[in-house]
Amino acid sequence: MATQQEIYHLKELAHDMRVKLLTLCGTYGGVLHIGGDLSMTDLMIAIYNYGLNVDSSDIALPTRDRFVLSKGHGAMAMYTAMSYKGFFNYDDIVKTYGKLDSAYGMHPCKVRLPGVETSSGSLGHGLSIAVGMAISAKQKKQNHRVFCYMGDGETCEGSIWEAAMAAHAKDLGNLIGVIDRNKQMMTSFSEESMKMDPYPDKWKAFGWDVTEIDGHNMEEIVNALDHLKKPNETDKPQAIVANTVKGKGVSFMERNIGWHAGMLSEEDMNKALKDVNDAWDKERGAK
Amino acid sequence: MAITLNFGDFFSGRSVIGDTVLELGAKHDNLWVLTPDIGGALGGYKKEFPDRFVDVGIAEANCLGVAAGLALEGNICIVMGMIPFLSMRATEQVRTDICYQNLNVRIIGTGGGLTSGGGSTHNAMEDIAIMKSFVNMTVFSISDPLMIRDILILSMEHQGPMFMRLAEGKKDRVMYEQDARSFGIGRGAIAREGKDATIFCHGEMVGEAYDAAEILKGEGIDVRVADMYCIKPVDEELIKKCVDETGNVLVLEDHLMYGGLASTISDFFVDNKVVPKTFKRLGIPQVYAGFGSGPEQRKKYGYDVTAVVDYFKKTLK
Repeated sequence: MATQQEIYHLKELAHDMRVKLLTLCGTYGGVLHIGGDLSMTDLMIAIYNYGLNVDSSDIALPTRDRFVLSKGHGAMAMYTAMSYKGFFNYDDIVKTYGKLDSAYGMHPCKVRLPGVETSSGSLGHGLSIAVGMAISAKQKKQNHRVFCYMGDGETCEGSIWEAAMAAHAKDLGNLIGVIDRNKQMMTSFSEESMKMDPYPDKWKAFGWDVTEIDGHNMEEIVNALDHLKKPNETDKPQAIVANTVKGKGVSFMERNIGWHAGMLSEEDMNKALKDVNDAWDKERGAK
Repeated sequence: MAITLNFGDFFSGRSVIGDTVLELGAKHDNLWVLTPDIGGALGGYKKEFPDRFVDVGIAEANCLGVAAGLALEGNICIVMGMIPFLSMRATEQVRTDICYQNLNVRIIGTGGGLTSGGGSTHNAMEDIAIMKSFVNMTVFSISDPLMIRDILILSMEHQGPMFMRLAEGKKDRVMYEQDARSFGIGRGAIAREGKDATIFCHGEMVGEAYDAAEILKGEGIDVRVADMYCIKPVDEELIKKCVDETGNVLVLEDHLMYGGLASTISDFFVDNKVVPKTFKRLGIPQVYAGFGSGPEQRKKYGYDVTAVVDYFKKTLK
């Protein structure tokens, strides 16, 4: 169980990460998947800096938890969350992001960046890969868990449900799906284009244990991570359906279809930073 | 494997696969066998190593994705299924999850060319074009039932993905004497010597080319049969040698005649300024072929024994 202090620290990191993402988006001269990065921020901070059993000094440790970023366009959110855990130096990321021969690109590349567990970016692929990793762990009687972070938009892909079905069939209690339910895709609101609700029920129907949380409430995120069953306690794959907001924290981005990806002008960047800083001041004041 | 096969015998490549993976599974505790609901031949493995056998049901994309996840954990995966679905339904998993990350997945596909009898949904006429286009992928087309055994054994020492194409795999002709077998990555084999022309071929067409060459012998035409069982990387030295020594070239394959081996060879010619005396490709034209057996279809589309004999009689006599 996390102490209040630990939770506050995670919130602090999440705020710092928002500032970093928005600053990068306004300064590096290229496009960032800023909307989705912001919907991921609280979850990614909690997963990498609280939930996952990983050690940045030994990235090949057999006992480490595996993390598969299925929504590969959230790479920057993952790199940043990992940097707090010591995997990467944030300044290195910023210096080279998206540039020729960089290890840090728009989508994670394991070949160039061994600290990530798999390359990804083509949506709908990650859960199958995570199922393979979880089957392997189970057969080898290893006790680590495999986390697969998905965007709800990519769960339009049929391969996700092939993998979801297989995870149940193969009794993968060591597999945890985290679904970033921001209800937006690149060009549409997902309920308008695909009618995904009742969303948690879909995972339940595929044989998963499902917990639904507010993906921006650190207490709820930490609580959900704390309450995950251990691989030896269940045969059922577990899903955390996290309700999130694309562009979270920035008034002109939240629930705005225009901010799947983009660049920020200096003026917009300052406006966005003011939004998140004000919110953080309020949060700190309330503490 | 205790069986003895002699030149000209027929034997099921699928059963060779079943026996070979069983042997390899005992030797390599990181070997896994996966299938999307195919592969009665894999029953022995399933029984012996149930914890390293994964059937994901009729879901090729997931099957190849799961294989990628297993391979990322240091395992070697053998995936067996029908070619069109492995090569097309799961194309992106093969390319992006497996080839991009250079993972140890061996994909064995059955029903090469027009041998499946299932019609255009089940025909496999684009697979070599697709698979050879992927960076890191090694592509084999199996011409002899024991060749698949040798390739599987050597694949245990290879880093990176492989595609292995079988014809129907139920009744395959032995093209090589048992003690003369020596196959390798990036190599081809001379299945029959000859000095007047070379037929470059792969898979089941090696037997067809051999039969055509025997008939042509009676016509005074001495044709070499070059079995290009490894289509990528291709044995360029062998191609060059055959052109130098025989001059005339025919490429015969149970695949679209553009995009497969014939295209690999013609690319080699252009890139290296190699000019054969004559050049011809026989294979599947731009059609979605219908129903019928492999031999019936090959006859219909003009790439069977008779077509080869007629071509050389017309060209070289």
